[in-house]
Amino acid sequence: MDFDSIVLAIVAGLSVFGLVRVLDGPTVWDRMLGFALFSSKVIVAAVMIGIVINRTYMIDVALIYGVLGFIGTIMIARFIERRGDV
Amino acid sequence: MTQALEWIANIVIVIGLIFMALGVFGVFRFRDYYSRILVTAKVDTVGFITVMFGLIIRHGFDFFTGKIVLVLALYIITNPIATHAITRSAHLSGYRIKKER
Repeated sequence: MDFDSIVLAIVAGLSVFGLVRVLDGPTVWDRMLGFALFSSKVIVAAVMIGIVINRTYMIDVALIYGVLGFIGTIMIARFIERRGDV
Repeated sequence: MTQALEWIANIVIVIGLIFMALGVFGVFRFRDYYSRILVTAKVDTVGFITVMFGLIIRHGFDFFTGKIVLVLALYIITNPIATHAITRSAHLSGYRIKKER
């Protein structure tokens, strides 16, 4: 259990709290906020995994996850804002 | 020299983790959506930047660090835009701060 895996465990624990906000968020925007928080933790966790196993492809995974998460958030925000007719 | 660098990088990463924990704590502490996203967007981004900066310090200058800088740059650009889009859709859909008093 060296330093990197401890950091990875902590970040994974923090991401669970983001999901808790998704569950009990009163409004739909709280849920999107919880998801944005969760995806930022997943990006850090992916980079840390890339460092723990010393492979560079995990950082590409984090990059792609960040881009797709961003596009998803933007489209959901547009969908809600326009009430369906995007 | 590398031992000292290792220690500095670890301390910076721990500081980043503390920022992340504060960001998550801020999500649960605030009762209203607008104050909640204000705290989360800023503190979480700072935590992310600090952790990535610690990793960059530790890994010195090679191909690996270049990719980490790319992820960092992407996140710095996309996270504010994403949180802005969420808050904008909240505001335009008529979600207003309810006066507790």
